[in-house]
Amino acid sequence: MNSSPIAVCEDPDVHAGPALFSGLDSGPSLAAHREQYGDVPRISLADLTAAIDRTGLRGRGGAAFPFAIKLRAAADGSRRPVVVINLSEGEPASSKDSALARTRPHLVLDGAVATARALGAHAVHVVLPGDRPLTVAAMDAAIAERHDRRMRLVRHVASPRFVAGQARAVLELMAGRPNLPVTAWTPEAVAGHRSRPTLLSNAETWAHVGRLLHTGPPAGLGTDDEPGTTLLTLRLPGARVAVREVQYGASLRSVLPAKDDAAVLLGGFHGTWTTARAARRLKVSVPGFRESGLALGAGLVLAVDDCPVAWTQRIVAYLAGQSARRCGPCLNGLPALAAAVSAIDDGTGTARVEQLAGLVERRGACAHPDGTVRLVRSLLTAYPDEIDRHGAGHCSWTRQATVVRRLRSVAS
Amino acid sequence: MKRALRVDWPACHARGVCHELLPEVVDLDEWGYPIVGGEVTPELLGLAREAVRMCPRLALRIVET
Repeated sequence: MNSSPIAVCEDPDVHAGPALFSGLDSGPSLAAHREQYGDVPRISLADLTAAIDRTGLRGRGGAAFPFAIKLRAAADGSRRPVVVINLSEGEPASSKDSALARTRPHLVLDGAVATARALGAHAVHVVLPGDRPLTVAAMDAAIAERHDRRMRLVRHVASPRFVAGQARAVLELMAGRPNLPVTAWTPEAVAGHRSRPTLLSNAETWAHVGRLLHTGPPAGLGTDDEPGTTLLTLRLPGARVAVREVQYGASLRSVLPAKDDAAVLLGGFHGTWTTARAARRLKVSVPGFRESGLALGAGLVLAVDDCPVAWTQRIVAYLAGQSARRCGPCLNGLPALAAAVSAIDDGTGTARVEQLAGLVERRGACAHPDGTVRLVRSLLTAYPDEIDRHGAGHCSWTRQATVVRRLRSVAS
Repeated sequence: MKRALRVDWPACHARGVCHELLPEVVDLDEWGYPIVGGEVTPELLGLAREAVRMCPRLALRIVET
């Protein structure tokens, strides 16, 4: 199986930020956290819902789903809800949840615990990433510091697999079944863990809930339409991996290298390619990215100074191997798509790529095929000339590869 | 209210019964898995229910959209 073209980084540089990443110097301990913020906020469901409505909080796992809709659905059920913190970020290139676990674990836990109390839930489930031992250790240490008899913290460790962090796969894990996606006939906020309303959100989402309940709405941060901040994982050529808290509306220019020939992958492996020149004109915004045909996704900003076609070939080969192998179109279609994307170098064109993209999209239990298609389509959109160049045996970034291909064609 | 067929993808094993019963709505891809297109109209509802019942993997449902 192809390994990830980018290794997991659990130890990114974490820069001080205006909200979640304020007061980093005092460390991640519960004592320091209580010193900065005070006790777990007590809030009624009505006040919580109103506070969430005012900020328009969206989920930070990648889909940017409005948190208020999930919260209302979970509250409206007739059975006692379940609250889940999902730290099992499947994107190998993303480090924001690891950064939160290692610097702000109690802000994450406070957000979920306060919400669980408001909902009348008795337990908060914490789902940890199986391939990130430092993240697991950090959350375990934080959980061990807390003693609340009325709110159980139940930990689970997800499989080290790209799709293991997908919501339904997480519910399968919690139910003691294989940690793989299954078909969702109803939203998990309506019927999730043991058919109970289940409010499952990403660690960063819970950290924002925690911050909101402790300090109120993020005054002066972000824009009118998108208040507050978001976390970006920055992977730039020649630099250490960094996680930065930026305001919505901030220009990407401030975090990107000045080189115009860099290719930029936004969002994650399920994200979108663009050029550094186009990326620097963007402002950090979920709808703004969407209007440009791009995805903020899980907040990855990966700039590379080599070929985006070659990168996509490696990433799609990896993603094909990460299929849970349960859904036919994904099981058959992703390896075929990976082969078709590789065959661009042989001059076969992109017709087969487009055909396979259409065949796998929206035909699976989870968003893995859709995300893979999003990545591939964005390459076709952002780099049409480079794809033609590859088809003709050239590459703007790698002279060496061109020579190798010429030699190969001479030999055959 | 419109109706459509939805596939339980992990359950589906490409047996193709749905396509045989309801070619108006279900095509097959190159691996034999259903491509569900379009609406289940009232005229097709009987056949659609039959396809749901006859699926050997119980991988089809009629959903309201």
